[in-house]
Amino acid sequence: MHKVWAVIRREFVERVRTRWFWISAILGPVLFGGVIVYQIMQSVGGGVRDIAVVDSTTSAFGRRVTEALAASPNFRVTRVPAGPRVIDSLTSLVEAKQLNGFLIISNDLTETGKAEYRASNLSLQTVEGLERALNKVAVKVRLETRGVNPAVVDWAQGIRITLDQTKIARGKTTKESAGESFILAYVMAVLLFMAILLYGVNVMSSGLEEKTTRVIEVLVSSLRPFQLMLGKVAGAGAVSFFQFLIWGVSARLLISLRVPIARALGADASAAAGMKLPHIPFATLVVFMAFFLGGFLLYSAMFAAVGAMSSNEQEARQAQQPVTYLLMISYFSIIGLTNDPSSTFARTLSIVPFTSPIATPVRWTAGSMGVGELGASLAMLLIGIVAITWVAARIYRVGILMTGKRPTMKELVRWVRA
Amino acid sequence: MSEPVVVDRATKRFAGHTAVNALSLSVPSGIIYGLLGPNGAGKTTTLRMIMDIYEPDEGSVRLFGQVGGGRTHSARIGYLPEERGLYPRMRVVDVLVFLAEAKGMSRRAARIKALDWLERLGLIDWRLRKVSDLSKGMQQKVQFISTILHDPELVILDEPFSGLDPVNSQVLRDTVVDYRRRGKTVLFSTHIMEHAEQLCDRLCIIARGKKLIDGTLAEVKRTHGGQHLIVAFDGSQGAAQRIFSDRRLVAKIQDFGQQAELELTNGADPQEILRGLVESGARLARFELASPSLHKIFVDLVGPEAATAAAIPATTAAGVGAGA
Repeated sequence: MHKVWAVIRREFVERVRTRWFWISAILGPVLFGGVIVYQIMQSVGGGVRDIAVVDSTTSAFGRRVTEALAASPNFRVTRVPAGPRVIDSLTSLVEAKQLNGFLIISNDLTETGKAEYRASNLSLQTVEGLERALNKVAVKVRLETRGVNPAVVDWAQGIRITLDQTKIARGKTTKESAGESFILAYVMAVLLFMAILLYGVNVMSSGLEEKTTRVIEVLVSSLRPFQLMLGKVAGAGAVSFFQFLIWGVSARLLISLRVPIARALGADASAAAGMKLPHIPFATLVVFMAFFLGGFLLYSAMFAAVGAMSSNEQEARQAQQPVTYLLMISYFSIIGLTNDPSSTFARTLSIVPFTSPIATPVRWTAGSMGVGELGASLAMLLIGIVAITWVAARIYRVGILMTGKRPTMKELVRWVRA
Repeated sequence: MSEPVVVDRATKRFAGHTAVNALSLSVPSGIIYGLLGPNGAGKTTTLRMIMDIYEPDEGSVRLFGQVGGGRTHSARIGYLPEERGLYPRMRVVDVLVFLAEAKGMSRRAARIKALDWLERLGLIDWRLRKVSDLSKGMQQKVQFISTILHDPELVILDEPFSGLDPVNSQVLRDTVVDYRRRGKTVLFSTHIMEHAEQLCDRLCIIARGKKLIDGTLAEVKRTHGGQHLIVAFDGSQGAAQRIFSDRRLVAKIQDFGQQAELELTNGADPQEILRGLVESGARLARFELASPSLHKIFVDLVGPEAATAAAIPATTAAGVGAGA
């Protein structure tokens, strides 16, 4: 046990000492801080768009559209009568960044519902705002032409419907929007994928280094290969946990400091305080950690075997591809999983050990998984880990002393059975 | 006390060929034991079997009287593999501590010992540098420290002198001799006979995976004896070749150019050769009656084709002029 500890400590200390560890440790919070600052800036007025309305209507329609848009806090509007070269000069203004964009409307609008918006940046928010405003005016004009009282139209349009969303999951109801749990599940899946890939590959390259530098011979004469592999996997796992810890703590810190940050940026502090944050239940965190750990053990054992059977970096890069593909399957199914977390496809993914480390936390977060199914998934993962580790350790044992040509599939099978 | 190393009819096969064939040897305690053989004789494979890196296909290895190879006893054994290697990106002192810990030593004790050895071998200022910053010779020293840091009872060195410059080679020799003086056992392999001749108490010569001879140095020399004569020239060789080719006097010759080792026929008189050489106009630097060198025995045993792989003696040339 003392020996395994020594391996774990070495693996941990040497990784944490590298420049790359600290670059990514700092980069995480910086990105996260950037997102917060961006959101604050958005609320300060970065969201106001300068636009022009190119009006070729012969009625008062163009003027009414302009007024409706000007009433919104998101737009500063100028009306420009249509004419030759107007489009060209507006286009150059947009290119010179003096104007965000321009809207082209004609008499057709109330008949066909078609208008055109040209801008340097077609953000969803702006387009939706414009469409909503145009829609409102167009409906009003159409109703008026059929003799409806404008006051009645205003009254009819004065209502806005909002859905009060409640999620029913595992016998409890929580106030959480679909968007929130989607984002949470997505972020978790991506984090899991990256962590497993990055740190699993670390296990591989560390084994490969011992092989290429020939340290392995001394090691194997002092430690059993299994002890070595165990120490490596645990050491790399500890490094990734440490990385997560740094990210988690600094994210927590940034969130609690968001009001002072907003103030320092001259933004409305109350807006920052009311910023929407995804709520992560404790159970979800536990599931996330458990499956991260399981997935990490499973994949890093495979990566360890890959490192052991390769003689150099190129070979390892090739040999790791099947393992990476396995992981990719889960990655590419994240969208499918979040769209319909109760489909047969999703159920299958969460029971297969190779995909469950990502699929199960996603389905759990989306609330489409019972405790029973979670238990089954975890049990399958554990069985998978034991089986894969057993096979990997056997490949590792023989592979680490081999140099020269890469083993064939037949040889690998023989190593495992020996 | 039981013998530190006993190899009992060990056989190891690799795809298509037998690297070690029913080899038996036993290394008594407190001596320097040489495992000699040409390249590819099976020396490294034998040592790897002793160290538990390979499992013998047949036969067994016993260390310190107990079943089980080097891994079980790693705290009592220091092993220097033929292919040297350290973690290039680690600090020197950290590598030493880690490798000692892997053998079961405590962290603190390993650290103290590591600094002590670095001091002794003049590397103390490099302790916090990366291994890759060190020169090849320094890395060799660090690796040697890692072999003996935990003060093992048995040291196994695979080709320890390869790649060492003369100065470091001497440091290594001194350490090995010092080790035996302290009652420890050293087992080392080499294909350079002069090293073996200077250091070994006992030796074993193997070729093609089989043992050819073993015993003390004196025993080996006695059984493969014959009267030997070493002649070294100082410039002109005169007509020495004519005398050397006289089959009445010389049974066998190994000619190294400026030096030759002759095996005399039974009853040949060395004085007759000396007279002949002087008369032929040869200038002699050395004329010495000797027991056969280990190199000679080695070549006789393994055959000339293997001898070309072995090195030509360099050290004897330094021993100038006994009898001329």
